[in-house]
Amino acid sequence: MRVVLLIAAKDLRQRLRDRSAIVIGIVAPLVIAAVMSLAFGGVSNFHFTLGVVNADRGPIAAQLLGGLRQPELRGIITTEPVGSPAEAAAEVRSRRLQAAIVIPKGFSTSMTGTSPQSITTLTSVNNTLAGSITGSVVSSFSAQLNADRLSLATALGAGAPLDRLAALEAEASGLRIPERLVQRPVGARELKPISYYSPAMAIFFVLFVISFTSRSFFVDRDQGMIERMRAAPIRPLQILAGKALSVFVFGLASLGVVASVTTVAFGAYWGSPLAVGVLCVAVVLSVVCLTALVIGLARTQRQAEGIASAVVFGLALLGGNFVFVSSEPELLRRLSLFTPNGWAMRAFTDLSTRGGGLGTVLVPVGVIVAFSAGIGLVAAALARRAVTS
Amino acid sequence: MSEPGNAPLQAQEGEGAPVLSCVGLAKRFGQRSAVDGVGFEVSPGEIYGLLGPNGAGKTTTIKMICGLLDADAGSVRICGRPLAELSVRSLVGYVPQDIALYPDLSARENLAFLGRLYGLRGRLLDERIAEALELTELSDRGKDRVDAYSGGMRRRLNIAAGLLHHPVLLVLDEPTVGVDPQSRHAILERVRSFGASGMAVVYTTHYMEEADRVCDRVGIIDHGRLIAEGTKRELVEALGEKDRIDLVATGDLRALAAASRAVPGVERAAEADGRVHVVAGDGRSVLPALVEAVESSGVTLNSVEVAEADLESVFLHLTGTALRE
Repeated sequence: MRVVLLIAAKDLRQRLRDRSAIVIGIVAPLVIAAVMSLAFGGVSNFHFTLGVVNADRGPIAAQLLGGLRQPELRGIITTEPVGSPAEAAAEVRSRRLQAAIVIPKGFSTSMTGTSPQSITTLTSVNNTLAGSITGSVVSSFSAQLNADRLSLATALGAGAPLDRLAALEAEASGLRIPERLVQRPVGARELKPISYYSPAMAIFFVLFVISFTSRSFFVDRDQGMIERMRAAPIRPLQILAGKALSVFVFGLASLGVVASVTTVAFGAYWGSPLAVGVLCVAVVLSVVCLTALVIGLARTQRQAEGIASAVVFGLALLGGNFVFVSSEPELLRRLSLFTPNGWAMRAFTDLSTRGGGLGTVLVPVGVIVAFSAGIGLVAAALARRAVTS
Repeated sequence: MSEPGNAPLQAQEGEGAPVLSCVGLAKRFGQRSAVDGVGFEVSPGEIYGLLGPNGAGKTTTIKMICGLLDADAGSVRICGRPLAELSVRSLVGYVPQDIALYPDLSARENLAFLGRLYGLRGRLLDERIAEALELTELSDRGKDRVDAYSGGMRRRLNIAAGLLHHPVLLVLDEPTVGVDPQSRHAILERVRSFGASGMAVVYTTHYMEEADRVCDRVGIIDHGRLIAEGTKRELVEALGEKDRIDLVATGDLRALAAASRAVPGVERAAEADGRVHVVAGDGRSVLPALVEAVESSGVTLNSVEVAEADLESVFLHLTGTALRE
């Protein structure tokens, strides 16, 4: 054990002197987590200006504008009158307006006729979210209008007198479609982007330990240091264990620092400290085994770099470190179950939304440990050869 | 430097027993036989030179001696103990051919790490580090990172790292490769002093003059086989009354060597290092014919040296090739 600790301490000393390791292990995950949470920060801070070309000026158009100015949308949409469709298109192109709608002349009167007119939305690829919201609002308004028309036609068809048409119109316009979509998350908390991307980026950059540890192993080997160690009265497995321990300590320290800083500085919620700790240990254990596997599979430093890059980015893409697993296609969601980081991301998501303690992460931790054991068995045999060859 | 032999594990056998005993060492890499039946012994205080050209099997042999490579056949015993005992390795100091040090650590940190691998610690470790730094004349640079050292300084530190634990057997694999003449001289003097202090040394080289100058006994290895062994005197005497003639020339030396071999009385001729080495029974009698051979082969002869037989002549005689051909 003394030799294992000695080798691990030496490796850690070298790693801490290497500024790139600090950047990858600590600085990069903090910065990228903050940037990602800003980029995917939802609509809570989203606001845009919508141009309105009102060529109708009738009561239905007034209702639509009223809807756009309702209190629920005030924080998101500001409307601005625009003179013509061409002017609106130019403003959207120049990005001064993020989207626009054109209400055609005679739109209100067409509602009671047989040839209804359409509202046109002008959107830009530069702001797809504004376009989507505008489209949703207009669609919702159209659905309401159609419901009104249908109820009016039904009343007239049932024999309502024509002299009551105005009264029926007023009554129908006061009704609202009874079905409404109500979103209620099953978790106790809303999943904040920072709470997702903090562990996601922390794990992603811990995966980079695979890359620089396997590379440094082959540098050591090429420099003759592995051979020099082997000439001493120690066993090859002690060399491997020392290197594994340094990966474990560095990985755990990296996750710990990122968890602490994102919690305190960015308000991320990782979950119960005990469960988070156990989950972090499991994740780092899988990183240790994957590192040994890369060392075992590669023959040269260049091969190690190639294999490690494929492993790191493959796992990160499949495991949901870049995008929410829930928004991935079904196939990718299934594939994420074959990755330790995929299970870890599920567990971290559960911890930050549902809460709970060890019980919440028991299954994911079990799967990650089983994954690590499987990889570790293969890696131990292969990596021993890398030390002795 | 204090006396060697105070490593954690002591020899089992009494004084006079060989420190190193190799018997029938063999190693194959695929179809290629790298070492084939090599065996020799090294006594305390003896400097044994393993002499041979690049690729002859020197490094493979010493890697088997140091336990870095498993032999396909044969055995290695250090002070009577089989190498399979892990603790036996603390009796051996290994100095690899390439500089095996961490460039991003200081000399002191490198030595501390390697010393601890051999079980040194505390005050003893500090003393050994100070001793090694003094030995390599790096005491005032001990805290500097190794990547700030010159090639010669690294080479000296590389040797010192193999001596930290005071081994009874020091194995040096071509320790002067790429070293300037001054550092080379210092290293050779140091190796001589190791032998004088009672340490057994195995020294591999393809520099004839190094073996000549440093080694008490020489084993000549070629194509994985130990083809001759003995003191310099024994090897030269085995050659018989032979002369060595060096033709220093410019031009097609390969053609000159071939032309020289055709001269009656010439036993061997091979080109290396800008000259053609010739071994002949009577150097003076073949000299006129050799000069004619020079003229016929179209090279420009710069000088002719007739010398007594030495290890170069022995190697040429035994293998038909010059050592650095």
